[in-house]
Amino acid sequence: MAEQVTFKCLRCGHEFRGVYDTEVERMCPKCRSNSVRRVKEKPRPPDDAKSAKP
Amino acid sequence: MMDAGRHPKIKLLAYSEVESVSGYVGNFSVRVRKKARYVDETACTACGECVKVCPVVVPNEFEIGLGSRKAIYIPFPQAVPSAYVIDHTHCLGDVPIACGKCRDICDKKCIDFDQRDQIINLDIGAIIVATGLDVFDPSALDEYGYTRHANVVTSLEFERLIDAGGPTGGHLVRPSDRQQPKRIGFIQCVGSRTISPDGDLSRGRPYCSNICCMNTVKDSLLLKDHYPDADISVFYVDIRAFGKGFEDLYRRSKEAGVKYIRGFPGEVVEDPATGNLLLTVENTTQGRVEQHELDMVVLSIGFIPSEDQAHVKKLLTLSETDEGFLLESHPKLKPVDTPTRGVYLAGCAEGPKDIKDSVTQASAAAARAQIVLNSERLRVEAITAFVDPEVCTGCGLCAKVCPYGAILADSKTKIKAQVMEAKCSGCGTCAAECRFDAIAMRHFADDALMAQVESALAENPENKIVTFACNWCSYAGADYAGVGRMQYPPNARIIRTMCSGRVDEDFVLRAFQLGAPVVLVSGCHYADCHYINANRWTQKRVDRLWDRLERKGVRPERLQLEWISAAEGAKFQIVMREVERVRQSVTLEEIEFTRKMLAEEK
Repeated sequence: MAEQVTFKCLRCGHEFRGVYDTEVERMCPKCRSNSVRRVKEKPRPPDDAKSAKP
Repeated sequence: MMDAGRHPKIKLLAYSEVESVSGYVGNFSVRVRKKARYVDETACTACGECVKVCPVVVPNEFEIGLGSRKAIYIPFPQAVPSAYVIDHTHCLGDVPIACGKCRDICDKKCIDFDQRDQIINLDIGAIIVATGLDVFDPSALDEYGYTRHANVVTSLEFERLIDAGGPTGGHLVRPSDRQQPKRIGFIQCVGSRTISPDGDLSRGRPYCSNICCMNTVKDSLLLKDHYPDADISVFYVDIRAFGKGFEDLYRRSKEAGVKYIRGFPGEVVEDPATGNLLLTVENTTQGRVEQHELDMVVLSIGFIPSEDQAHVKKLLTLSETDEGFLLESHPKLKPVDTPTRGVYLAGCAEGPKDIKDSVTQASAAAARAQIVLNSERLRVEAITAFVDPEVCTGCGLCAKVCPYGAILADSKTKIKAQVMEAKCSGCGTCAAECRFDAIAMRHFADDALMAQVESALAENPENKIVTFACNWCSYAGADYAGVGRMQYPPNARIIRTMCSGRVDEDFVLRAFQLGAPVVLVSGCHYADCHYINANRWTQKRVDRLWDRLERKGVRPERLQLEWISAAEGAKFQIVMREVERVRQSVTLEEIEFTRKMLAEEK
């Protein structure tokens, strides 16, 4: 059974569920960008507490 | 086939399987398992006496179950060599003595139950892959009733039924009552040109199988020739008669009285009393729903990649299309070459095609192979990787990531990596992945690429978009955008690499250290990768970088990844405009923070 994971588009911010397959191109279904990142269930905390996010 | 079998310089290894391939162009070592036939093929004269006494009867695979064969058999009438083989899964054998009738009757003493598989090692200069394809199984298309109605057959079964050497001697009969059908319907595109929303391939494949239309036209003409009174209907969406003389054949079929009805039947129902079939179809030309009662229905089935294609692909480090067929090096300029030098494609392994195209491609592949075989020296790629043995730790990562298997390394024994330059194509994935910088490239070296990054960001780095573009696709896409006068932000600074797999994490981090607001990594689409699958490593590396940036408190959005083909100038323009939008969102404080956070990064 293929693994279903959550992806986040780094262009439009859209989050979606999809199959994690290293042989398939990732593409955001909303904006068609390939800058799609797999959202990890338990993200590691940042090295520095301060963040430069605007 | 007979000519090939008799040729003094052709050695046929039938009933054999390639187990492994090593080496490189001009110097391949191939290990072949020649399976035991239990019959001495050099002595067998195919007299057939053994078949007469064999008591085991099983369905004949070549006749697709419409006929039978014995446990000792010739796979198909034109088989070369024309010698019998024993099907060991069905043969009763003689240990313990159970049968052995074939051995007793054979005058030439060809039967040898003690025969074993042979391993043959061959030194090969070039390899031509001609592994063919498989047919689509229409069982999942329940509306056509292939598994329920005896008189619904596939086009391949129909070929056997009308073949003079087939199970009925070429006399067309329908399977249910062995009566000659008068009304025959062909349903086109079964298993072809089908896109399931959920990606289910059991109902069909998205591509056109290329030969089904003309096969039906040919069959309809043959039927009209043999049975002029036959009522033939073809249910289709569009007939693709694109080859030389095909349109003429199609016209002749229509003139002979074959009815072409545009529309696919929604349902095929059987009359249990007669075995006749009732088809309900929307005739889209007439704009009405029609019912057709037929004696026999032929499903014109499509084609799928051969079952063992994945094995062949792995053996020869080949690439495949989205459809699963083997991918050529270049669709126009190198249509029979593969990414692995010295390996060529012929026939349907590359995609569905008819006999003429297969012969043309086979001739081209043979000619390409001749170039390799007749060369005293071969030119190797100028852009290759080389290892610094002083730095290499023998971790073996480079060998793992090399799409061509061009690097010899063993992580267990820690033997230092060695690059087989004749096999290396210069993608640079090994150099980008090596954690110890022990691999360098001839051309597109680290120093040269790093200098380009530094030069691009020498002045006003906060206004620049650092873009890594692969030579074959995204750089050509950028060029296409320029030639097509598609305007994209002029602050893009494009750095060309041969493959996106060459883009080292260090290059990206260096750009951020120097004040780059955004970095774009771009490469070929997965199916177009010119280095087999090197761009899958690009994705993995960018994934790692996104994690790394996030851990440092840097927005991962500032590193963008896009797959852009050479024809996608418009996509390049859109991507660059979007990346410019991201760049404008990056503040000077953010850039300074990033510089500070990444200052100590390698």
